[in-house]
Amino acid sequence: MSFWKKFNDMDRRWVYLMVAVTVIIPFLIPMKFPVSVSPEARNFFNAVDSLPDSSVVMLVFDYYPSTIAECEPMAIAGAYHLFKKHCKIITLSNIPYGGPSMAESVTRRIAAELGKEYGKDFVNLGYKYGYVSVLKGMGVSIESIFPTDNRGTPLSELPLMNTVKNYEQVKFVFEIADNATADYWVSIVNAGYGVPMGVGCTAVMAPKFYAFYGAGQIVGLLGGMKGAAEYEILLEKPGTAFRGMDIQSLVHFLIIGLVIMGNIGYFVTKRGKRKTL
Amino acid sequence: MTVAFFLNEKTPYVGDTSNVLLDWLIIIGGFTLLLGVVSILRVSAQAIQRKKEGWPFKIATIASVLVMAIPSLLPVSWSPLFGRFEGSIYDWVFVNLQAPMMATMFATLAFYIASAAFRAFRARTAEATLLLLTATIVMFWRVPIGEAFLNLFPGDLPYFINKFIMNGANLAVQRGIIIGAALGAAALSLRIILGIERTYMGRG
Amino acid sequence: MNLGRRILTSKSFATLALSFSLLSEAALAQEEFSVFRSDRINALITVTLFSAAVLLYTRWAKQGKPLFLRKIAGLDAVEEAVGRATEMGRPVLYIPGIDDLDQIDTIAGISILGRVAQITAQYETPLMVPVRYPLVLAAGQELVEQAYILAGKKEQYDRDTVRYVAGEQFSFTATVSGYMMRERPATNIYMGAFFAESLLLAETGNAAGSIQIAGTARPEQLPFFIAACDYTLMGEELYAASAYLSHEPIMMGGLKGQDLMKIIIIVLIIMGVVLASFGWGESGTVFKSWFQAV
Repeated sequence: MSFWKKFNDMDRRWVYLMVAVTVIIPFLIPMKFPVSVSPEARNFFNAVDSLPDSSVVMLVFDYYPSTIAECEPMAIAGAYHLFKKHCKIITLSNIPYGGPSMAESVTRRIAAELGKEYGKDFVNLGYKYGYVSVLKGMGVSIESIFPTDNRGTPLSELPLMNTVKNYEQVKFVFEIADNATADYWVSIVNAGYGVPMGVGCTAVMAPKFYAFYGAGQIVGLLGGMKGAAEYEILLEKPGTAFRGMDIQSLVHFLIIGLVIMGNIGYFVTKRGKRKTL
Repeated sequence: MTVAFFLNEKTPYVGDTSNVLLDWLIIIGGFTLLLGVVSILRVSAQAIQRKKEGWPFKIATIASVLVMAIPSLLPVSWSPLFGRFEGSIYDWVFVNLQAPMMATMFATLAFYIASAAFRAFRARTAEATLLLLTATIVMFWRVPIGEAFLNLFPGDLPYFINKFIMNGANLAVQRGIIIGAALGAAALSLRIILGIERTYMGRG
Repeated sequence: MNLGRRILTSKSFATLALSFSLLSEAALAQEEFSVFRSDRINALITVTLFSAAVLLYTRWAKQGKPLFLRKIAGLDAVEEAVGRATEMGRPVLYIPGIDDLDQIDTIAGISILGRVAQITAQYETPLMVPVRYPLVLAAGQELVEQAYILAGKKEQYDRDTVRYVAGEQFSFTATVSGYMMRERPATNIYMGAFFAESLLLAETGNAAGSIQIAGTARPEQLPFFIAACDYTLMGEELYAASAYLSHEPIMMGGLKGQDLMKIIIIVLIIMGVVLASFGWGESGTVFKSWFQAV
């Protein structure tokens, strides 16, 4: 059997092994490839940067723990940027599997670093079932949907929430999602109430959101780990996403190499078959 | 709800009724979460009782549900191990077991996409060749070293890819699919509301 | 329309008009504001036009007017794929999506399950339907039982055909992947809402040697299904599947109404492209304002 036939019929586990080795190498030999910034990420950053100080912003944790590698760096960078601008952050989640826990962990960590106070500078509303009802209900009254915060404290006892009744007081929505809830934020909150928003999503979902970005429904887009790395670069605070770009670069090259060689093998074996016939 | 969408929220009865319905939806939805927990406990208990295939794993399932649910429902005032916040059993299990396991399963996608790309991206037809070329170019564009490679060629290729592929062809196609899917969903919803479509209820 | 229905319709309109005027009076008594949201009139016109188109074509279909539907290869292949499973003596795996019953994709998936279950009942092919939510379990069990009854094979119906597997996305995926590698179903059919697990399921099915037919309205999952499955239904083809498989004129009428709406949207897009290409001008600005949300 020729080399190319063997290559094309290769057991897929060899491919898995190649991917595993390619992922491990940058952990041992960090490469720090320079990351350029896309217009979508730059517009997102500029939109947040141009918010007046003390603006109320919703930072939404709509991602599952499975996509923590792509989405958490965005959340960390977003929380850091908003706190640096002295914005007041309201976090919430439409995901029952750990959304509020992740919101607590990220915001409290960054808040402690920057000296922000819970209840005054940020509030975690937690999770409520039925994202369509939640999003529509918050347009009338946030308190009617979330009478207490994630820890059971009534909203009336939180100074920040005394100034925020519904979307009219919210200046920006920083949505981080790995599922369809981002579509509902755009179609209900942005289209229905005119609240400007930016979306950070997994790389798989990013192509879809170019449609919303092109229509001006979202001011910026962070697509996957690259988008998170771009935001970190703009913030001048490289983090886990920036470090992850080394691995992503090498794996992409591996896949491209396999595709090219697979096609060479395909054409060589096809020509071989024709000659035989 | 449909009528309320076109009327002012301050309209008497309409706005209030709409808000009440939204609250009902949330409350009823909460019960369906409970239904899921009851269902998995019932199915697992039956499987253990009848010694069905894989029944030891059902014991692990029930144990997992109880270990996470019971401490999280107990008041924090009884012990810092209870409740759902930092330092509790629930939080420890979530951060140290559930989140890494979910992330691991998601990470296996990297292996699967490599093998799928290796197997499926063949220039068999003109369309397949176009798909293959576009995918390769976008994969180059999406990583720093790939962008550096593209910059070796004359012209601003990364800009071209962003403007004409991502914000051009991709945007147009995504819009088409989104519009089509939205119309399909709306038509199906209308058929269900009017009782024309009843196949999901088991009636032809 | 008979006299009774005419009277009922005009009575309904009169009641609606009276309610609106009473509401307006009550509203104006409190403070001055407009009851009707004039900024959403474009949405109202769209909804009215769309509903009228769907209902009109449904009515014509009921009256026996022939309606053409283009071929959808994936749906034509379903019966052939089930036949393959029967010949090989292996089961058919059907996944009606991994979302809950309140999502329209799941309803579409469940509707197609009914048709597929009828075919498997006819051919006496084992069917396995893993689900992620209890409500989908209940709907699926009733549907499959009904299908077996319609095929005259009630005694062959097994309640465990539709089974609740796991509530969590990747637990579900791991269990179904394990089943695929052990049982090696000849045919895998994925119809409904799928997320990150789409590629995991499709690649595992491919490794197990199954013929795979997928359908989803999630654009981000389509590339994975197209790469890994033999047939893929894209977007609205999933919602059309129930009507396509049943060949019932009433349901096909709804599809035609939807197509009319699409033609209207295409014409408006072309108008917009022409106006934007040659400079918007005053008429272009008015045209743009028709489509403002909020």
